[in-house]
Amino acid sequence: MNELTLDPAPPSGEPIVTARGLRKSFGRKEVLHGLDFDIPAGRIYGLIGHNGAGKTTALNAMLGLTDCQGTIRVLGEDPFARRAKLMENVAFISDVASLPRFLRVRELFALLSNIHPNFSQDKARGFLEGTDIKPEMKVKHLSKGMIAQLHLAVVMAIDAKLLVLDEPTLGLDITYRKRFYRRLLEDYMTEERTLLITTHQVDEIEFMLSDIMFIRDGDLVLHMQMETVNDKFTQLVVTDPAHLASARALKPVFEETRFGQTVLIFDGVPRTQLEPLGALSTPTLSDLFVALMQRPTANPEPAR
Amino acid sequence: MKAFTALMHREFIEHKGAFFLGPMLLLGVLFGLTILAFTVGRVDVHLSGALFTVAPLIIYEMGFFGLGFAWSLYLAVTLFFYCADGFAADKRNNAMLFWKSMPVTDFKILLSKLTAAVTILPGVVFGLALLSGVLLFGVAFATMSINGTASVGTLGAIVGIYGNVALTLFTALIAALLWYLPVMALVGAIAAAIGRWAIPIALLLPTLISTLEWVTLGGLHPFATNTWRFLQYRLAVPQTDYVDTWFAAAETATSGRLGVPRFDGVVASGEVLASLDWTQIGIGIVFALAAIYLASEYRRRVNDN
Repeated sequence: MNELTLDPAPPSGEPIVTARGLRKSFGRKEVLHGLDFDIPAGRIYGLIGHNGAGKTTALNAMLGLTDCQGTIRVLGEDPFARRAKLMENVAFISDVASLPRFLRVRELFALLSNIHPNFSQDKARGFLEGTDIKPEMKVKHLSKGMIAQLHLAVVMAIDAKLLVLDEPTLGLDITYRKRFYRRLLEDYMTEERTLLITTHQVDEIEFMLSDIMFIRDGDLVLHMQMETVNDKFTQLVVTDPAHLASARALKPVFEETRFGQTVLIFDGVPRTQLEPLGALSTPTLSDLFVALMQRPTANPEPAR
Repeated sequence: MKAFTALMHREFIEHKGAFFLGPMLLLGVLFGLTILAFTVGRVDVHLSGALFTVAPLIIYEMGFFGLGFAWSLYLAVTLFFYCADGFAADKRNNAMLFWKSMPVTDFKILLSKLTAAVTILPGVVFGLALLSGVLLFGVAFATMSINGTASVGTLGAIVGIYGNVALTLFTALIAALLWYLPVMALVGAIAAAIGRWAIPIALLLPTLISTLEWVTLGGLHPFATNTWRFLQYRLAVPQTDYVDTWFAAAETATSGRLGVPRFDGVVASGEVLASLDWTQIGIGIVFALAAIYLASEYRRRVNDN
């Protein structure tokens, strides 16, 4: 595993998720190459990677939707062997379109209150107050954004310890996306709950994350707290070409030219060393993503 | 149990069109035809008239049986398509992962589908079949009232006939559902794996298995194998002599000979139950559970949404 840093948060009690040597193959192609990680309780994790990097496979392993080699435990249970039991304390949105389309909203809530022991119909109705979604509406007649709101109301009404969101806002406009994450933070998150999100729109969730995991081609390349990311990575913008050679000598993990300026990202280089060479800032998550996730096949200009 | 009942309820909601709205529509059409027959004055010729005057009670019995037979055909077709399609509906509706996010096993979900197929879904159709019987008897009694042959005694006889025929239809329904349970489970299990292709595969399966025996073990032709003989026996509709004999007598009665004994639902039901091969039913239940279990293990490993 070519992990840059493995610096998870200090666990408060048992981790919610523990994975050791997690591997998964489809035919001859191995898509997860032995992942090791712990996810402690009360954190908001971002699992970020390219298409096909193995994010969904890793999530499926955590949710018991696929069998894997290695060891994985979620809330102390083997997810594949005990998925049904596990789902009493784990909620997930895999895809905004996965709600049963033939049901009316009230039918959905009534069924869930009988099927899920930790689902509260009152809470779900409360989450829908102020929206255009009415109990008599059929799911198939709702817009994409309304379905996302409804699905979020459903999972937030489940008293779960772990909530997993796999591209929950795919295809939604920015208004819905922002509203979606705001509700999640304001109405759902507590220190007993853990949230795991995957999305390509990393900038939109950066503000809420406590930890990130970057996954590339089936390997975990970065796993750390956001505070550590801010301390560890520095972005340098060099405007004076005379400083470029000095900057490159400090071995940036990424370099690119933007509007005639050279932007470099450094891993673990003290800011005092970089300050004389140009303007310093903390890289955004998307900058860091581009810096650490460069692949020759996806990027004609490989990182230096 | 609460979750299991809820899962069966969702099957009813999802397939309400085939098992409730469709039959309601048919019932509406039947009612409309009846009213039309009255209003245009054809009821005496086609629905009652001379026939009701000559042998009204026989007509009630045969009419209700006829309706029951028609509803049974409807139910057989809808249940076959339900099993061949409903077991794959979560995949087709992109809802597979939603149901997998619920704290219920795949086995429980598939078992709820099969249980719905032998309880709530045929139960609703049977209820509507009974309603259609009430409609038929209502029309017949009204007609008799008009032509002056109705009396309180006739009404009592009609109620008795209704009860006897309904009991027989109910017993026959239970018997058929038990007898065909392994077939429904097999079609459902195939559908859980390959979706709607279960329809042609299920229809071809007996021939394929029999041909396999013919190819591997020999025989005159693919339809002269032990497998084929067993399948013919196992797929045949359970029948009793009582119903056949009574029908033969009743047909004679409608052409003029009166005095045919009333249809006895208790005797007919008893004969239906006695005619069943209960060992085969027991084996069928075990086979059905095994098929559903294997299908659930497949579904557990496949997340096609």
